[in-house]
Amino acid sequence: MGSNIGNTLKKYTMVIALVVIVGIFYIGTEGTILLPQNVNNLLSQNAYVFILATGMLLCILTGGNIDLSVGSVVCFVGGLGALLMSKGYNVVIAVIAMLICGILIGAWQAFWVAYINVPPFIATLAGMYAFRGLSNVILDGHVVAISNTTFLNVFGGGADCYIPDFFGGGNFNITCMLAGVIGVAIFVINELRARISAKRKGYSTTSSFAFIVKLVLVSVVVLYMAFKLAGYKGIPTSLIWIIVVVLAYHYFTTKTTMGRYLYAVGGNEKATQLSGINTKKVYFFAYTNMGFLTAIAGILTVARATNAQPTYGMFYEMDAIGACFIGGASAYGGTGSVFGAIVGALLMGVINQGMSIMGVDANYQKVVKGLVLLFAVIFDVVSKREKK
Amino acid sequence: MGDKVLKVLKENTMLIVLVAVVLFFNFTTKGMMLQPSQFNALITQNAYVYVLATGMLMCMLTGGNIDLSCGSFVCLVGVIGAKVMVEKQMPVIVGVLVMLIVGVIYGALLGAIIAYVNIPPWIATLAGFLALRGWGVALMNGASNISPLPVSFSTAFTGKLNDLLGGPVIGGVQYNMTSIVVGIIISIVAVFLLLNGRATKLKKGYQADSLLSVVVKCVVITAAIMLFAYKLSLAGGIPFALLWVAAIVVIYSFITSMTDFGRYFYTIGGNAEATRLSGIDTKKIMFIAYLNMAVLTVVSAFLTMGRFQAANSTAGTNYEMDAISACVVGGVSAYGGSGTVFGMIIGATLIGVINLGMSLMGIDANWQKVVKGVVLLGAVVFEILNNKKNAVK
Repeated sequence: MGSNIGNTLKKYTMVIALVVIVGIFYIGTEGTILLPQNVNNLLSQNAYVFILATGMLLCILTGGNIDLSVGSVVCFVGGLGALLMSKGYNVVIAVIAMLICGILIGAWQAFWVAYINVPPFIATLAGMYAFRGLSNVILDGHVVAISNTTFLNVFGGGADCYIPDFFGGGNFNITCMLAGVIGVAIFVINELRARISAKRKGYSTTSSFAFIVKLVLVSVVVLYMAFKLAGYKGIPTSLIWIIVVVLAYHYFTTKTTMGRYLYAVGGNEKATQLSGINTKKVYFFAYTNMGFLTAIAGILTVARATNAQPTYGMFYEMDAIGACFIGGASAYGGTGSVFGAIVGALLMGVINQGMSIMGVDANYQKVVKGLVLLFAVIFDVVSKREKK
Repeated sequence: MGDKVLKVLKENTMLIVLVAVVLFFNFTTKGMMLQPSQFNALITQNAYVYVLATGMLMCMLTGGNIDLSCGSFVCLVGVIGAKVMVEKQMPVIVGVLVMLIVGVIYGALLGAIIAYVNIPPWIATLAGFLALRGWGVALMNGASNISPLPVSFSTAFTGKLNDLLGGPVIGGVQYNMTSIVVGIIISIVAVFLLLNGRATKLKKGYQADSLLSVVVKCVVITAAIMLFAYKLSLAGGIPFALLWVAAIVVIYSFITSMTDFGRYFYTIGGNAEATRLSGIDTKKIMFIAYLNMAVLTVVSAFLTMGRFQAANSTAGTNYEMDAISACVVGGVSAYGGSGTVFGMIIGATLIGVINLGMSLMGIDANWQKVVKGVVLLGAVVFEILNNKKNAVK
């Protein structure tokens, strides 16, 4: 039982760290960080972190490979969309153009990484500079405002984009709370079913203690968030996009063959190749997909700000990479999960948010983020070494 | 014969590209590129590239490892040095020592994290990339620069060597005699080394380059050195920055090609496991590579501060890019194990010429970024494809 608790604690170190850090900021900001509005901001201001971290996770899974260009590409794609809309193009056309642009950029870098064997950090470092330069060129150094309300409403633009309350709960958004409860119910049922089926098939399962801790922890966090959001204005539209992306990729990485290939390549590339899997294709997929998700992050970013500027997306790659490593992805590939990346992204978001509320100088924020990234990786590498 | 010529051409692709690029810019800038003042600018404005690329070369040799933090560290260490020298009014020597000590401490920390804790270098240095600039800028308390630096500091890194020999004035133009004489001496030394190297190889029965290719090399190198010496003599003499660069390049060229210790960097990059099993402390070599990188970064911070006579919050931006590009363009393998200081010099010069040529042409800074990105990617792709072909043979 003692070692059981120890194991459980170890497995959820980052969740516990998240709680502790929230606690620290709670004291540091005298409670401000948990005000409903700030919980709302935490999600909608850091929407890009969740999306980018999901894409980055797939790249990291293939062997600790990263994409340094995402920040610049977010800016470039966002700028392109803003320009198209300001020229009077239809929203649908603009969004499709942004997505295609993202995919093309992803495929361009994926080609060099997968088929020519260019080390990913060099290929994407080149992209980081080139697309930052191109963003400046297309935006001509200006701010391009987005006034298209459809676009803003759909992608959580500005400060006022929420799912309306269908039940008219007045100050308390019932739809939001209900969505939270339903979400938790589905999660619990799903987990129970998976556990029962695993037991029946004789697979090894985590101890019931660990299982209950997990259920309770996740349910409490989700319900708490739903409660806070309901107390503000309801579900921000950007949250819907986060949930869609996260669920889709959670399914993809855990239930599909292609998803498992990502882990296999990261675990042992040679063995994967020899068992007949086209590893180059797996790399190509991971980086093309990164371009696609970067485009979505770009859409959310410019929608949130209601304009595009040539400085957008700076250091987004840091947030995404940091989120993955904090969430337990291995810097050498082969392990990591979407769930972990989400916890990591939340932690990054809390740190961003908490420091802003506390009025920490932007430069010191950079220092803290750099150190957090470094320590997350050191922790990961050292704790894995001890296991061996 | 045809094959031989082709082989010589192939081995010196980047040299030929360099000449072509210089001619291209000279044409598009209507001859401005080859003005004496531009030769001076090429050295003083790009001295940091040579110094950082030397350090980066040592890191890359160990297996394609890079340092993304060097640009930010140039900023931080510059701010610290400027604080000591300007705000605290300490003597220059104290400032220089403090900066070097900070460099050693950072290098040792980085080296320990990478070599002994086994953190992938790009993550460790990415953290530094972010944190060090943040810290540096924060230390400036909102100012965009700290200046003026003491005159003796700036002069040591940006001044020009006095003409000890008293050059003649011909047709109203002051020639710097020292520059010409130094050029002639270096040319003679270079030719002697090349010929001597070939003679030793032949005596020991090793395979050596054909006499033709050695002669061609001698002619090209002498011509390049003398062109530089001549142009610099018209531009007021040898800049101190060139002396710093030359000293570093010569020392590292010696270490990498003549010492056992230098060869270890290559063997680790070639096969780390085999190197370790043959009794070499690979962790120590990795540690030293990054320690050395930090110290050279401090030297390039000296040169950068000297040039601007201030510590700037934007100092060092994109320097890591220039250093990595210089190495990769100069034929250093992105997977480690091969690359030379000489190749790196060609690469750094090419990057410098591109920087300078684009500024002379008045190309927008944003397009310059795009071009740099494309050059980096193009060089890696070229190198990888080239090696693949060789490997197949």
